[in-house]
Amino acid sequence: MTAEAPTTAVPEVRLRDLRPTVSPVEVVGRVVSFDRREIVRKSDGSRRPLLSGLLSDGTATVRFSWWDPPREGIERGTILRAVGVEVREFRGRPELTFTWRTRVGPAGPAELPRVDADELPFRTVRGLAAPDEGFRIEARVVRIGSRTVTVGEERRVVHEGLVGDRTGVIALSSWADFGLAAGEAVRISGGYVRSFRSRPQLVLDERSAVVRIDGGDLPDPAEFLRSPPRTIAAIEDEGGGEAITVEGIVVGLLPPSGLVYRCPTCQRTVKNGICRVHGQVEGRADLRARLVLDDGTGALTINAGRADTERLWGATLEEARRRLREEPDPSLLEESILETLLGRRLRVRGAGTKDDFGVTVSPESIETVEVDLEAAAAELASRFSEGR
Amino acid sequence: MALREPAWRVTARELETSLEEEKGEGERAASYLLSPFAARMNRVLITGTLSPAEPIGRDESQPFWRSRLTDPTGAVAVTAGSFQPRAMAQLRSSPAPRPAIVVGKVHLYRGRDGVGYVSVRAEAVRFVAETEERAVLADIVRQTLDRVDLVERIEKVPATGEASLVAEGIPRGWIRAARESLQRYPNVDRAAFRRDLRPALRRVAGDSGPVATAPLPPATVSVTRAPPSPPPPPPPTAAERAEESMFLDHLDEIAEVSADGYADLKELLARVATEGLLGDRAEAVLSRLEEEGVVEEPIVGKLRRA
Repeated sequence: MTAEAPTTAVPEVRLRDLRPTVSPVEVVGRVVSFDRREIVRKSDGSRRPLLSGLLSDGTATVRFSWWDPPREGIERGTILRAVGVEVREFRGRPELTFTWRTRVGPAGPAELPRVDADELPFRTVRGLAAPDEGFRIEARVVRIGSRTVTVGEERRVVHEGLVGDRTGVIALSSWADFGLAAGEAVRISGGYVRSFRSRPQLVLDERSAVVRIDGGDLPDPAEFLRSPPRTIAAIEDEGGGEAITVEGIVVGLLPPSGLVYRCPTCQRTVKNGICRVHGQVEGRADLRARLVLDDGTGALTINAGRADTERLWGATLEEARRRLREEPDPSLLEESILETLLGRRLRVRGAGTKDDFGVTVSPESIETVEVDLEAAAAELASRFSEGR
Repeated sequence: MALREPAWRVTARELETSLEEEKGEGERAASYLLSPFAARMNRVLITGTLSPAEPIGRDESQPFWRSRLTDPTGAVAVTAGSFQPRAMAQLRSSPAPRPAIVVGKVHLYRGRDGVGYVSVRAEAVRFVAETEERAVLADIVRQTLDRVDLVERIEKVPATGEASLVAEGIPRGWIRAARESLQRYPNVDRAAFRRDLRPALRRVAGDSGPVATAPLPPATVSVTRAPPSPPPPPPPTAAERAEESMFLDHLDEIAEVSADGYADLKELLARVATEGLLGDRAEAVLSRLEEEGVVEEPIVGKLRRA
């Protein structure tokens, strides 16, 4: 507790422990994000300023609404102590309201509740969803890499990869360097989950903690990337996945496929010599195939790049350009790709994201599957002889 | 959210038995053909021997071609028009029956007599090697058996929860289709349908093509149109003339008593078969009569005098 004791007899609670039945309360939290608005009262047209956003204390993140807030002094990252906060429940989650009775003042990081990693509940990877926080997981680093990004004025290094346990795999994005290496088993606490391209992503920062563990019961790193295929229907249900494997038959080809031109700066496809972002550019020729893969339960799009397209189609980019010079109709190339691939059985691994048109896979590997007809016939024959 | 419709793996036999529709409501809603065996089809993937295509329709600005896909369990009409230019070009490109894979949308046509005819409007067609045809057929038979099993399971224990089936890896779409099948086709002989699939299994195992070995199921006749005769056609012999006349007599008899004035192709072939005019030969007579403009088939499976 702090030196200046609260004058009213409201309990100080951690955000994770908020209950609508215990109100008002005292909380300490960091402003994660906020927005200022004015609410017009219908009865007399009067305006009342409102500041609303997310407040986090490391155990949970909750929405808060602050009526008649101060004009300034509130920033992202500001830590507040609020006494006499109303707790309400909205759609099953607690929310905070700062009313005229609430006394709000600045606080320091030391006043945030001490989150003891040992008391955080263990969760499994499959169970994680935005905006979870205040949990621990034990997982294996499937892969990890780093890149430099520009955040505002700053250049920062972000470590990105995948971690997984027996239940699944989740994308990882760490703003702090924990020296992670692929294959390591780790216990992670103090991370939070956000939604990135409609998939959950585990985010770590300076406040997170990583401990190496033995991890004998965690799967082998290679196992994550070599998982047996699942039905496309299941993957549609789950909205994609970080490391999915599917097997199906090519039933179509979507535009743009074949010979495309890409912006030399951002790799976007160029239409009529114009990049969506960089305007008029000299496009760089590339080969791609957007395959529709169907397994009878669902269909998804495979964005095959140049190497895969060349291998599956059996013709190179140079060959495609030569053919185009001879017969200047790009749709013939598309037709030729479809003609080669329609009905081919493929096994594809990669990351799948879902939008309104379904799941799109950025493949890490595409293999042609040769069907063992004898084995297939034997398997089917056994099903006929079951006597049903 | 309009996800792409999956291509249901089905046999010609399953298409022949599918008579129930689910019409989509609202703008651009998909329609479905429901089979008795847990298929709720908008798009299908089929394989078999594709006969050379023939043009139908008189309007030259709206070309429309039709051929027949025969698999070991039955046959289905495959069509393509100017809205499927690639598929149409493929259909037209083949001068002789060849194994093919077809992806397309199912259509149910109901004649005035209420009889339904299923056809597949091709979106993509590829002629393939025999091994590829057998590989795709294996996929079709496996998934068909999986679906029949599912229908039987849900019939036995109607309270089976969707969640537990999904946990086993069964797609939600199949579960929904299985429940629809049980509701719409309460008295279906699934054992007979399994028997109908056996020839497909033999084909996967390597038996020669369906044209040669397909047994004639009672309700279905394997039909393969003869390739167009090379010009100039030799004059028909007297025996051929006799067959034609017998063929036409039966056609007239059937047409006279039918509700819509057309002669049903299946019925006609069954009748001429009793007079010894079988399979390919009956087909040859029919193509000759069609070429000479004596008989026409304005609707799939429906004949009349031109």
